Amino acid sequence: MSFREKSAWISFICILIFGGFYGWHAIRVEFFDIYDHNPMVYVFGTMGALVALEIALHVAIAMQSPRDARTPKDERERLITLRSSSVAFYTLFVGALASLGLGMHLPGSNRYLMAELLMTAIITTLLVRFGTQIVLYRRDA
Amino acid sequence: MAAKAIHNNIRRLRFDRKEMTQQELADRIGVTRQTVNAIELGKYSPSLEVAFKIAEVFDVPLDEVFSYR
Repeated sequence: MSFREKSAWISFICILIFGGFYGWHAIRVEFFDIYDHNPMVYVFGTMGALVALEIALHVAIAMQSPRDARTPKDERERLITLRSSSVAFYTLFVGALASLGLGMHLPGSNRYLMAELLMTAIITTLLVRFGTQIVLYRRDA
Repeated sequence: MAAKAIHNNIRRLRFDRKEMTQQELADRIGVTRQTVNAIELGKYSPSLEVAFKIAEVFDVPLDEVFSYR
């Protein structure tokens, strides 16, 4: 497995974990009105911890294959990044529109719900981006 | 009529050059080993620049490395 593919896996898994934590928080707050923690501390604390984990894992794989880590992306890797970003763009576009539509028209919705929907769209977009990269790397595309 | 596709002889050319490894070829043309593998398998069509670099490494004309049929 190439350095870039490992990197995509690390980012995908870290975002998936963050999405899980965030989803758990959002469901508790929105559906069960449980406010037993400070949402800002919880969300940004989790985000910070996962960014630190992602950096640590990237350092670990860079130490494992230092030459690959130093080598700039070649044309195929740049193309894979562009294709995944293109797919992610449409995901974000649809997700943002859906968030706005639902946020404005759902009964009892407020700015917090809209923010949570937008955050969900962003997390989904990142998962789609790195997921597409993994699929393309796996296919030797 | 069957659709045309790009074919290549990189595997044979590497074999003829004392089993040059994919990594060695990759290093000489400035791409990753995975990219050389994808080109060899016909799953990725390289840019003209990389195609010419491959031909230069093997010291053969471009149409001996790639063909469109």
